[in-house]
Amino acid sequence: MSAPHTRASTGPRRPLFQKYFGVLFAAVVVPLLANGASEGWFGYRDQRLFLSQRLHSEATSTADKIQGFLDDITDQLQWTVQLPWRDGMQERHRFDVLRLLRQAPAVLEVTLVDGNGIERLRVSRVDTDVVNSGIDRSNDPAVIGARAGRIWYGPVTLYAGSEPHMTVAVAGAREVNGITIAVVNLKLIWDVISAIHIGQSGDAFVLDRSGRLVAHPDISLVLRGDNDPAAARLKQLQHAAIAGGDQTAEGSNAESHWVIAAMAPVPGPDWMAFVEEPTSEALTQIRATLWRTGLLLLVGALFAVLLAYLLARRMTGPIALLEKGAREIGAGHFAHKIDISTGDELEGLAQRFNEMAVELAVSQERSERIARLRRFLAPQVAELVEGSDQESLLDSHRAEVVVIFCDLRGFTNFSGSAAPGEIMGLLQEYYEALGAIITRYEATLTCFMADGLMLLLNAPVPCPEPALRGVRMALDMRAAVRALLAGWRARGYSIGFGIGLAKGTATVGRIGYEGRSDYTAIGSIVNLAQRMCASAEDGQVLIDTAVAEEIGEAFDLAPLGIRPLRGFAEAVPVFSVTPPNVDAEALPAAE
Amino acid sequence: MSFGSRYISEPATTKPGYPLTIFGRILLTIAFALIQTGAFAQPAKIYRVGLVAVGTPDTGILGAGMARDFAQRGYVVDGNVVFERRAAQGKPERLPGLIDELVAKHVDVIITQGYPAAMAAKERAGNTPIVVTLSGDPVATGLAASLAHPGGNITGVSEVASELSAKRLALLKEAVPDVRVVAVLWNADDFGMSLRYQAAEVEAKRAGMTIVPLGVHAPDDFDTAFAEMTKKPPDAILMVTDILTVLNRKRVIDFAAEHRLPAIYEYASLTQDGGLMSYGPGVAAIFDRAAGLADRILKGANPADLPLELPTRFELAINLKTAKALDLTIPESILVRADDVIE
Repeated sequence: MSAPHTRASTGPRRPLFQKYFGVLFAAVVVPLLANGASEGWFGYRDQRLFLSQRLHSEATSTADKIQGFLDDITDQLQWTVQLPWRDGMQERHRFDVLRLLRQAPAVLEVTLVDGNGIERLRVSRVDTDVVNSGIDRSNDPAVIGARAGRIWYGPVTLYAGSEPHMTVAVAGAREVNGITIAVVNLKLIWDVISAIHIGQSGDAFVLDRSGRLVAHPDISLVLRGDNDPAAARLKQLQHAAIAGGDQTAEGSNAESHWVIAAMAPVPGPDWMAFVEEPTSEALTQIRATLWRTGLLLLVGALFAVLLAYLLARRMTGPIALLEKGAREIGAGHFAHKIDISTGDELEGLAQRFNEMAVELAVSQERSERIARLRRFLAPQVAELVEGSDQESLLDSHRAEVVVIFCDLRGFTNFSGSAAPGEIMGLLQEYYEALGAIITRYEATLTCFMADGLMLLLNAPVPCPEPALRGVRMALDMRAAVRALLAGWRARGYSIGFGIGLAKGTATVGRIGYEGRSDYTAIGSIVNLAQRMCASAEDGQVLIDTAVAEEIGEAFDLAPLGIRPLRGFAEAVPVFSVTPPNVDAEALPAAE
Repeated sequence: MSFGSRYISEPATTKPGYPLTIFGRILLTIAFALIQTGAFAQPAKIYRVGLVAVGTPDTGILGAGMARDFAQRGYVVDGNVVFERRAAQGKPERLPGLIDELVAKHVDVIITQGYPAAMAAKERAGNTPIVVTLSGDPVATGLAASLAHPGGNITGVSEVASELSAKRLALLKEAVPDVRVVAVLWNADDFGMSLRYQAAEVEAKRAGMTIVPLGVHAPDDFDTAFAEMTKKPPDAILMVTDILTVLNRKRVIDFAAEHRLPAIYEYASLTQDGGLMSYGPGVAAIFDRAAGLADRILKGANPADLPLELPTRFELAINLKTAKALDLTIPESILVRADDVIE
């Protein structure tokens, strides 16, 4: 019982818990995850966009500053092309140039070319001035460029492979004003570029179209010239930014730090201004947001676990209790109470279980009582006694009863010689035959011992005409046993049957001890009936005077006179009952 | 650190199962946090910077300017940076010994002023990084491989490859147009200075002027030079500035004033001392850049990766008091470009 029971009960319980747990957990976590993921994703996108826009605006601002640096120079150069080249103007032009050199420290050398493209003056900070060299500069790209577009920016060149310079040319409003060509020392952009800070540790730098580093806060990097690995990384960043269109680019900066860079063109010289910010720093905000979302998700998930666990336990706990209760009740422990106070259907179910247990207990007790009663009462009487709740009937009292004794003649001899199987087989037939009759007549079986029986009528349940009923029963029993006797005798058993009846007052009640109580009658009447039976010959039904008086004319009675009976001081009148149509003499007398 | 470790060792010495009080746990946590944030870490490193000049103490890189340049870069002078100043007092033969002293002091970087100091440092400083100033063109003198990649352990501020002597001569000519004969004073023992003299010679030839070469080797030679100029007076003096000439600047300026000779020098300081005019790179800016390079080296940069820098600003200084004393009228074309006019 226990092994399959355990498997059947604990086995499926976990899955139920898991199911509840799973469903409840999912019910909380799935929306939470969906919300968290979308929030995280959109937050990330917004922040990325914001970062991109911020860097772009920084890059544009940087480009503006670089262009501003160059514009300052070209504005100064404009002053040198205000006057036409006429005779006597040489000195005026020269003064313009000298003033320019004072005003624009980045200008290293200035060359004035007249309207015909002839070099008229060259003033340098380092070299001696050259006046009216007469060199034809009309095919100089600077001259051609300035003539075409007023302002011309030359390529970035490295002085001694190190210091970056650029030639800038400016043309006057009128062709006769000529053209001013200036060599600009680009190292001075450092003042501009080093003042730009992006975020906490980000900075800005400038590359020309070919990727040559023009300006960087680390001036040494600029001065290292071409083929520098650090500058090459910036060139790669430029490629990435160009390839990525207008987007920001990620890559290594000069210090090999991973950065996010944005680019903006410096239109004049066709340079590109970059701003860079270490990725880790730029994404701090984004990371914080993602962390926050993740943390919220985690807390939510933990909460969901807790909630799901508690709810699932709340669901399955009572079920487990119910199951345990059912097992206890099934095992007969009706006193077991299922204690569930969830206030829902499960509590109702538990109450049903408890009620059922009480009812089962009552029912079992009743059936046990009936079973006990049936030990000595006919089933219908037992039901009657039990059902009518008249157990007081069983209480000891004095009652007028008919006592019937019967036993087999010659059984002692038979049992001494016969095999146990035969003895038991015979008794089986015997009691089966008598039992049916006893039940039919609702007689009370007080005891039986081997082949002997003691029966009572009118106790504990009174019945009308108990003596008559007793005699009828006795005759039926005699007839039933006679039918058996024929078979037994055919098998060679020399067995007979006798019955004795007596009527009188006796003390009736239950005797015995807990669980083994019998109903019996005590009194001389019992002894009398017993003696009657003992003195009865095979096939005889002997009755006493009281019985005989009661049955009156119903049966033929043969007075057998007064017999002395053991235990009785006086001899007792005995009558034999003869059934109407049965010849008592037809049966051969037993030994 | 010991404060922190006292609290770290405590739980180790407690008997097993001894319950650490909440207060103890908090202390432990704080101690760990402090150690991790470096609150108990070693004090910041103190940098030692060697400053070596051929000249006198308290001038040039040995002056107050260098301290300002370092302070500007966040250093606390005599706090986290300590200067070891060494002046050769015009005696270049002392330089090797001074360099040895600095090496013995385990300086983190040596900043030199003047070519002899740079040369001595290169020869004796071993692996100690060197930042050179006012040493001519280090590429031309062989101190460094190139501007972009100096190599070795030397970087610093170079001077422009084209010698400015020609420019000075031209400016002198413009200021005093009737100059024909110019006496050039220079330290003939200094290779860099000799290059400058040669540049002046070339320009003089081009401009139709005559040069009187007055190379000096020792302070005593100045008397010889003065005697020469007294015997055959030139129209003007060009003094190539190195430590030898600078240490004797007073005598030159006085001689020029006495003999009413216009003179041009290299640095504005000489104009302030009474010289008529000067043209050359801004020395303060050069020292500032040298401090910048030294700063990079202190922060871990390899001097071989730090290109030599060229001066970006050139200063023209005029002393109008001297001009007045000489009865000279400085033309507008000079005044208009003068960065420093002393009136």
